[in-house]
Amino acid sequence: MGSIQLKQVQKKFGETEVIPPLDLTIEDGEFVVFVGPSGCGKSTLLRLIAGLEETTSGTIEIDGGDATAVPPSKRGLAMVFQSYALYPHMSVRKNIAFPLRMAKMSQTEQNERIEAAASALNLTDYLDRRPGQLSGGQRQRVAIGRAIVREPSAFLFDEPLSNLDAALRVGMRMEISELHKKLATTMVYVTHDQVEAMTMADKIVVLQAGVIEQVGSPLELYHTPRNLFVAGFIGSPKMNLIAGSEAEKLGAHTIGVRPEHIDVSKTEGQWKGTVGVAEHLGSDTFIHIHGIEGCDPLTVRAAGDVDVKYGDTVYLTPNAALIHKFGPDGLRMS
Amino acid sequence: MSNRKLPRLLQTPAVLLLLIWMLVPLGLTLYFSFIRYVLNSLRKPEWTTPSISNWRGFGNYEYVLNSKDFILAIQNSLFIVCSILFLTVILGILIAVLINKAFAGRGIVRVLLISPFFVMPAVNAVLWINMILDPVLGLQGLGVQGLNGLIASLQSAPGVGWFFSLWPQFEPISFRASQTSAYAVIIMVTWQWTPFAVLIFMTSLQSEDEQCKEAAILDGAGAWSQFRFLTLPHLGRPIAIVVMIQAIFHLSLYAEIEIVSRGNGNKNLPYLIGEFANNNIGAASATGIFAVILANIVAIFLLRMVGKTLME
Repeated sequence: MGSIQLKQVQKKFGETEVIPPLDLTIEDGEFVVFVGPSGCGKSTLLRLIAGLEETTSGTIEIDGGDATAVPPSKRGLAMVFQSYALYPHMSVRKNIAFPLRMAKMSQTEQNERIEAAASALNLTDYLDRRPGQLSGGQRQRVAIGRAIVREPSAFLFDEPLSNLDAALRVGMRMEISELHKKLATTMVYVTHDQVEAMTMADKIVVLQAGVIEQVGSPLELYHTPRNLFVAGFIGSPKMNLIAGSEAEKLGAHTIGVRPEHIDVSKTEGQWKGTVGVAEHLGSDTFIHIHGIEGCDPLTVRAAGDVDVKYGDTVYLTPNAALIHKFGPDGLRMS
Repeated sequence: MSNRKLPRLLQTPAVLLLLIWMLVPLGLTLYFSFIRYVLNSLRKPEWTTPSISNWRGFGNYEYVLNSKDFILAIQNSLFIVCSILFLTVILGILIAVLINKAFAGRGIVRVLLISPFFVMPAVNAVLWINMILDPVLGLQGLGVQGLNGLIASLQSAPGVGWFFSLWPQFEPISFRASQTSAYAVIIMVTWQWTPFAVLIFMTSLQSEDEQCKEAAILDGAGAWSQFRFLTLPHLGRPIAIVVMIQAIFHLSLYAEIEIVSRGNGNKNLPYLIGEFANNNIGAASATGIFAVILANIVAIFLLRMVGKTLME
């Protein structure tokens, strides 16, 4: 069990409205990712669900019951913080045992759960160490372990990977995804990294300035972004948004073409431009092209072995079926 | 290796100066403690100049150990220091936690709280013993007088009079008496040094990790558990610092003891040294060496204890 429903939830800090009234449903067992640029209110939203912040108005329901006034410890949710928030004076074992100790669980059951969590997270050898003696990845695992042992109805993750280096981040991403498959518990995950959102989520919630821009599966967001913001935010490299005469030809205010949906040719094509920087990744080449009206530079994702140099003239042809059209209000034209 | 020689050479003057600074007084004290050395003696004028020919061996130590006030002074030193440490640490933590919360006028409250620390020890002692603790003219005397008066007037009141007739007359406590003068010293020094503890604990509390507390709240920890398992261990090191610094200062209390009772029934080692030093420098030096040993034992013992209980 672990469904969460937000109904007209609003949050103000003094006079500033951080989150205007908002509705959201998180189904039991779902992996939901809140994604958005920093300062968009995604962490505040998570803290509202956790109960660390009080809602200004609206109701939060957990498993169908009104939890708006329920204290954080009674909501049955476990949270993993960006800074890990481990208790520095306790060993790893005591850190993981802390919520169980607070729940006055018997010593034998505590030990059973700690052993299970430690072996699931490869922490068995570190149980007697202090957090200060662990690496970033290990600390994050301890924080997750401390969340797991409580067997919560939902996990809340607040940018858990942003303090890790790139290689470790990819590893931990997989571990958290696997954990979700194994436990099948609801997880709410906050990140500003759209790659994390795309790779992990069942459902992505894109936020901007406290407003939900779009909710959907990763591929839904990729294929049919509801507005310009989502179009520009989801996908890497970013979608090319072209305004002006090229868009008007197709009857739109702005058109969007993903870099991977443009063909490059040295001889003929719809648009003509000059090559700027070309980033060779081996598998792909990201070419930044200048000289195209309404979008400078325009990014193209070409094959890894494409033969272009700085200053070359190239011709581009977008895949007409995959062009996204947006009206003057920024919304997608069907 | 050679590149370390220059820095060592440059450090030498400072190290030497510190060594001299420390070793010369200690060496002189040791030397005086083994010879007969008095300031004034008509019978043996040769004792009034320190000289190796007046060697007394452990005689001074024996004399001090057998003097009637020595055991009392040791006991009193420990009693006073430990009581003050206990009270200042407890009060310091409570007040620091209390004023760590945001409230209107917090800045003023903090300044007021620190102010006792700026009062000179002798002034502090005079104020307390005369204006507050005096059994007749002090706040205490007036308070007890007022209470007795109130009870006397209530004894004739209808309904509850019988209840108050059972009450005794209250006697004000004379803090200059031999048994109670140590308490007076403890009270006034605690008042003066609690701000020091508050100041150190307050700064430490401000460096406490807020996310840790939030994690603890989500883990189901109440206010007491948060204090016991997060705040108190966090304060472990500052407590050790407060205990160490205060132990050093309070082992050498003098002004308060002098002013409260002139050492009547309430001596500590420094006071005993002072009494001996009126004439017998040899005995005073031997007592000084005892004081050094006691200070070391206390410091090691206290630090171990604090370290063990709080660092887990």
